[in-house]
Amino acid sequence: MTKPSFSISRGPISRGPISRRTMLRGAGATLALPWLEAMAAAPAKTVSGQSGSPVRMAVLYMANGVHPDKWTPTGQGRDFQLSPTLEPLQDLKDDVLVLTNLWNQATKGGEGHYVKTSGFLTSTTVTKTLGVDINCNGVSMDQVAAQRSGKQTPFASLELGIAPVSTGVDKNVGYTRVYGSHIAWSGPTSPLAREINPRLVFERLFRAGRPQADSAKQDMLLLDRVLDDAAQLRQRLGAADRARVDEYLSVVRSLEDRLERASRPEQSAWQPRVPLGAEAKPAGIPREHAEHVRLMLDMIAVAFQTDTTRICTFMFGNAVSNQNFSFLEGVKGGHHSLSHHQKDQDKLRQYQLINRWHVEQYAYLLRKLRNMKEGEGSVLDNSMVLFGSGLRDGDRHSPHNLPLVLGGRGGGRIAAGQHLVYAEDTPMANLHVSMLDAFGTPVERFADSTGSLTGVLV
Amino acid sequence: MSFGAGVTPFVPLLLAFAAMPSIAEENFSFPEAQAVLKTYCSNCHAGKTAVAGFDLEKFGTMESILEAPRKWNRALLRVRDGEMPPKGAPAPPMEQREKFVAWIEHSLRTAACADGISAGPAPIRRLNRNEYSATMRDLLNIHFNAGQGLPADGAGGEGFDNAAETLFLSPIHAEKYLEAAKQALDYGAKDPRSRARFFIAEPNENMSPEQAARKIIEKFLPRAFRRPVSLEDVERHLELFRAAQTRGETFNDSVLFALQGILISPHFLFRLEEPNPSPEPRLVSGYALATRLAYFLWGSMPDDVLFDLAAQGKLREPETLTGQVVRMLKDAKAREFAESFVEQWLGTRELGRDIKPDAKLFPEYYDAEIRSAMRYEPILFFQEILAQNHSLLNLLDSKFTISNNKLQRHYGLEVGKLRQQPVRVELPEGSHRGGLLGMAAVLAVSSYPQRTSPVLRGKWVLEAILGTPPPPPPPNVPELEEAHGGAVPKTLRERLMQHRENPTCAACHNRIDPLGFGLENYDVLGRWRTEDGGKPIDSKGELPDGTMFEGPKELKAVLLERKDLFIRNLTAKMFGYALGRGLTMEDYCTVEQVVGQLEKNEYSAHTLIQEIVLSVPFRYQAGMARPTSEEKAP
Repeated sequence: MTKPSFSISRGPISRGPISRRTMLRGAGATLALPWLEAMAAAPAKTVSGQSGSPVRMAVLYMANGVHPDKWTPTGQGRDFQLSPTLEPLQDLKDDVLVLTNLWNQATKGGEGHYVKTSGFLTSTTVTKTLGVDINCNGVSMDQVAAQRSGKQTPFASLELGIAPVSTGVDKNVGYTRVYGSHIAWSGPTSPLAREINPRLVFERLFRAGRPQADSAKQDMLLLDRVLDDAAQLRQRLGAADRARVDEYLSVVRSLEDRLERASRPEQSAWQPRVPLGAEAKPAGIPREHAEHVRLMLDMIAVAFQTDTTRICTFMFGNAVSNQNFSFLEGVKGGHHSLSHHQKDQDKLRQYQLINRWHVEQYAYLLRKLRNMKEGEGSVLDNSMVLFGSGLRDGDRHSPHNLPLVLGGRGGGRIAAGQHLVYAEDTPMANLHVSMLDAFGTPVERFADSTGSLTGVLV
Repeated sequence: MSFGAGVTPFVPLLLAFAAMPSIAEENFSFPEAQAVLKTYCSNCHAGKTAVAGFDLEKFGTMESILEAPRKWNRALLRVRDGEMPPKGAPAPPMEQREKFVAWIEHSLRTAACADGISAGPAPIRRLNRNEYSATMRDLLNIHFNAGQGLPADGAGGEGFDNAAETLFLSPIHAEKYLEAAKQALDYGAKDPRSRARFFIAEPNENMSPEQAARKIIEKFLPRAFRRPVSLEDVERHLELFRAAQTRGETFNDSVLFALQGILISPHFLFRLEEPNPSPEPRLVSGYALATRLAYFLWGSMPDDVLFDLAAQGKLREPETLTGQVVRMLKDAKAREFAESFVEQWLGTRELGRDIKPDAKLFPEYYDAEIRSAMRYEPILFFQEILAQNHSLLNLLDSKFTISNNKLQRHYGLEVGKLRQQPVRVELPEGSHRGGLLGMAAVLAVSSYPQRTSPVLRGKWVLEAILGTPPPPPPPNVPELEEAHGGAVPKTLRERLMQHRENPTCAACHNRIDPLGFGLENYDVLGRWRTEDGGKPIDSKGELPDGTMFEGPKELKAVLLERKDLFIRNLTAKMFGYALGRGLTMEDYCTVEQVVGQLEKNEYSAHTLIQEIVLSVPFRYQAGMARPTSEEKAP
């Protein structure tokens, strides 16, 4: 039996109550203990940011690393100059934290990409497999938060992407590409499927935001029947098959749970300031990559603004993405191919333009959140938006000194507006600890963390 | 009739192990292998302090190795992938490494087969997105993609998205299933053709609403669950009808409500088989077999013919089974199978997704008709081989392909009558086409967006065709192409030549690159060319064993000489697809058996499918698992 990759702090903290149902929906048996501790915790209390607004958390994952010489800002602390790649964040400089010298030790080795994608938010080493014993050996940071706070919104979390899960297994390196297509893991063997069609995301948000008590009740009746069927069925099965049925049981329960809460809207702790309007509905998956990305980022902003979820992960591309970036002036080629620049100046130049484009999109989301007023401040003031990649230099596949930026003020908890330079090889897991703290779901330890990240929290 | 009743327990015959042709012609002897272990491994892996508890002193005999197959399988993978010996430690040269790996693999598989062919695991699994859509289509007779809102499925095992191990469930699935069932039923209830399929009774003066609903459910439920159902099953779903009636719903809506309940039941969404409680393997029930067969060859539920044969107990007769294979392969629904298998086997599913030819350089790809013809060519070609029972060697080289006018023109071939739909076309002499290697989709998927790559194409041939993927490049070396240093060479070939001067790179690239150069006459979109950027194409290649060839025609002849590798690879892929899981060591006994039958039957397509369907793992369920001696050991 593997040890849980995180433990929950016992300090006097506000945390949502955890029902038996949530527990079943959560990770596998390996996590049973921390959950039981959490269940005995303090009574329900909304996690609050400034002016009583909730804190939101998003993670934007970029494949293939960055041009290492054009990423790191010069200067430290509050007195720093953005690098060429980070320059699109100029007007947001006071709202971001650039983090230098963090690394993800557990994702060293294995191979170049898959291990560093699934391990990005779990800080664990995935099991090498073509599929049969798939296991990330942990839970991703966003899901640790979702499992403890998710009941306060229609969706505990939202998983979004651009490309569907990659086809096939990579026999070359001996990994299933499932690992390269997921950063959110609700349990060691449960990667969370992503929605890639902005219209479908919108429809989900829209429906969840306007529950109809009648249809919710009917749906619950159907789900109850399913739960009965599944419960009967599982008794006749062997252990491995039972685990599959349990997986179904738990996802059906989580839906039932959501419908139940939705049918009693007065139970929601925080009333969303802004209702979701149907006019924002996207048409479908646009052909242009840039347009597709923008629409998905819009969905994150809308989901946060309407408080339909407080947690979101987004993948610009799957691991090893070879998305053609020729739509950018001066770029001719695929993302992964160019990331293997071999110090060729022309390739490096193009690679950097691709990195910079990603930063521009990140800036777009931050600006969008900044323009959404909430109380005295903005949604951005109440958010934490992490942007980064699982490797530094795409030509070297090394998880040292990862490119990471944290945007937003996390409800006043984040000391934004700095370039923080840590001792070499400071665990990225320390950042997870700090983010979970700011989110209101603190943990004492997360994977290889050695504490929280100094200077991040106010 | 109860599910799974009347099954005769039957122990498969112990099949004599057929000598397995080894990949490495000169296999190691045990002492030779021991010498490698002693030189490169025993520094760390010996004695009480052996790293990872892997103590070579405990493996002094062949028998002791064969008693720990799992450990040695792990060791084999780590050595094969270059993870062992670790970085910095002395490592055997490539050739010795490969022989060593072949030796362990051969020994383990031989030993696994000596005990006879076992049924292997048959884990329950949910329907994948395509299977879900096709099943809804056939169950409700709707022409609407009910599964379009579901997330795509990842792949495991042999590289297919029907592998039980990677068919996960996320909260989003529950939501989508509930919604899709409602949508599909509403759609079906409004379409008279579809409605007739499941609304088989209406209340009238002789029939109460509940009696009518019962009739409907009694007919619908066994088809949805793909097995006979009990009275209790019917009763349970009738309750939903009653609940809807109680809250004042119409007869129509109440029935739909009950049916929606059926369509989100695990008995519908999962492929379930009655567990085998005995320790011995047994034939699966006729219904389970019909289901295995239908999802293999149609990617959908069984039809009435299969259900009837299952009910009559006939499906388990080998002659009936092989007869059904032929019928099913000729059915239009075999398209689902061809599409799913071929696109994942060849990797062409990524075309238009992660792999997109550059729009500025290759605008032709953005013509919808060409793109679709490109995409369907290998699929329809494979379907034709299956339906017509052609030789599988057509995949390596053939005298026909399946294309339409635009694709013909794209290939520089003469165009006959005006047609948009792809049809079978006999290829003239000197067409430069025939077999998978002349197909645009294959050539595009093994290229960069802007240009062709002999390295990518060579790697593609090694992986998809020969089933001998090269090991990953050592860590921290540049990606496959264009290493620099010294004078800058001019052509891609010169740069690759220089690359191969580095012995670390050469070990694999001597094998990869020549195969790709043989295909250089095809551009990114598979069009024939004799020059590139004003320079003549040089399509000569020399394999490490000294075999020389020039151009695709000679390359195909070289591959046909290695047809045993190709056929073994195709068989393993097909078997993994049929079983919906990764192959175990024991499964390779079946692979070898099927390969043997193919050799005797002119590589006929039906032989491949029939032998797989008749195999022990396809027709049997393993007994209740007992831990092996290795698992019991601490």
